[in-house]
Amino acid sequence: MMRHTFKGYIREDGRVGIRNHVVVIPVDDLSNTAALGVAKLIRGVVPLIHPYGRLQFGRDLDLLFHILAGTGSNPNVAAAVVIGIDDSWSNKLADMIARSGKPVEALSIEGSGDLATIERAARIAAKMVQEASEKQRTEVDISALVASIKCGESDTTSGLASNPALGVAVDALVEVGATILFGETSELTGAEDIVASRIPDLELREKFYRIYRSYVSVIESEGVEMLGSQPTEGNIKGGISTIEEKAMGNIQKLGTKPITCVLDYLDPLPPGKGRLCFVNTSSAAAEFITLAAAKGSVLHFFTTGQGNVVGHPIVPVIKITANPKTAASMREHIDVDISDLLKFKISLNEAGRRILEYAFRVMDGRLTAAEVLQHDEFSPTKLHISA
Amino acid sequence: MSVKVAIHHKADNVGVAIEDIKRGEVVVGIYMSDMSPGPSVQALNDIPLGHKIALTDIKRGERVIKYGVPIGVATKDIKKGEHVHIHNIKSIRWSFGKS
Repeated sequence: MMRHTFKGYIREDGRVGIRNHVVVIPVDDLSNTAALGVAKLIRGVVPLIHPYGRLQFGRDLDLLFHILAGTGSNPNVAAAVVIGIDDSWSNKLADMIARSGKPVEALSIEGSGDLATIERAARIAAKMVQEASEKQRTEVDISALVASIKCGESDTTSGLASNPALGVAVDALVEVGATILFGETSELTGAEDIVASRIPDLELREKFYRIYRSYVSVIESEGVEMLGSQPTEGNIKGGISTIEEKAMGNIQKLGTKPITCVLDYLDPLPPGKGRLCFVNTSSAAAEFITLAAAKGSVLHFFTTGQGNVVGHPIVPVIKITANPKTAASMREHIDVDISDLLKFKISLNEAGRRILEYAFRVMDGRLTAAEVLQHDEFSPTKLHISA
Repeated sequence: MSVKVAIHHKADNVGVAIEDIKRGEVVVGIYMSDMSPGPSVQALNDIPLGHKIALTDIKRGERVIKYGVPIGVATKDIKKGEHVHIHNIKSIRWSFGKS
């Protein structure tokens, strides 16, 4: 019998997290040093280091703020310190995060320098960490969960076993009310009509097609023939014959439920439950997880064949493999080994059950492999050149 | 007879070798969803791990079904037990000049 509750942190805005981090967010690349300074001084502060911010403009800049604010507002975060080179952007980001009701403070480096800024930020962060340490986990209904799914370093075992097994887990989670985010816009190629046919709302279906076509056209405008190179030589050697077959292997992890929300880059995740949501994203592992976390995902399921090591600073990433060689050779990275599937020792349903059972332990507080290995990839998606 | 073929969906006309299969070998398929036994087939070619084997005869022009959906179309008549790959099926949407 599947559990319907987990022990999470209920935040000021009613959303529920499974981690209790205090973050220090640099608004721009110049403020990374100060953010790292604070993290060195104060135990339990997570710095969200990234190389962007200066002279970005238009939708690209909006997306950076969307990602920074979304991550700072994520329910896995108890409180946030924002550091930027100048006042206006620091205050803008802090105001966006403050809408979640979380404690947030803004600092700027101009006029005082790194050292004074680090001291002020460290004093604030120290208080925040101590206050966060008294937050308690509460038993909450699974419908409060927002999680995300993506595969990487895929091989034959992905489409054959780990993705379908994750699909079983996704169906079970959506049935009991959880929200699951998926994306990888370009990698849906070959199955985009099948994904579209699973969007009952015709307006949303059209929106999905618009997003998909626009993504592919950007890739092709760079002279890359995305479709003609699929499946790759490696895929063909592994037994994949057509792009439809490859894409179907990929989308097995979506399970079978209807897709009831479609989010473009800047669209916030509306409140709701029992949903499978498409999010326009890159297919690169860290970029995907970073954007999903900014939309509110507090837990990520990652299926891998050859072994991807990705993690995120505030979102636990659960690694699942059905490849027995990867499970053995990269065992410190693998959380759930379902290679018994390919020995026919367990069914897909049993493999799905194993993924869920482990996920509930992680929701209750167990650290994932990526968390203990300090895989803290924070990779905001950049849309175009800076000025 | 050994169990060496994974089948994703009851409607599938191909299965996937989970171990290398030798020509002439008789192998049994298993439906992954519930581990129920599927058809047994005699392999007409060597089928490498991860590659597909036809569970039924598939006529030229007929669709190849995996995961319960068409993943391609047969470019020649395919016999039950034959290796199914780029030499005898092609994408319905995109052709790569390989068929």
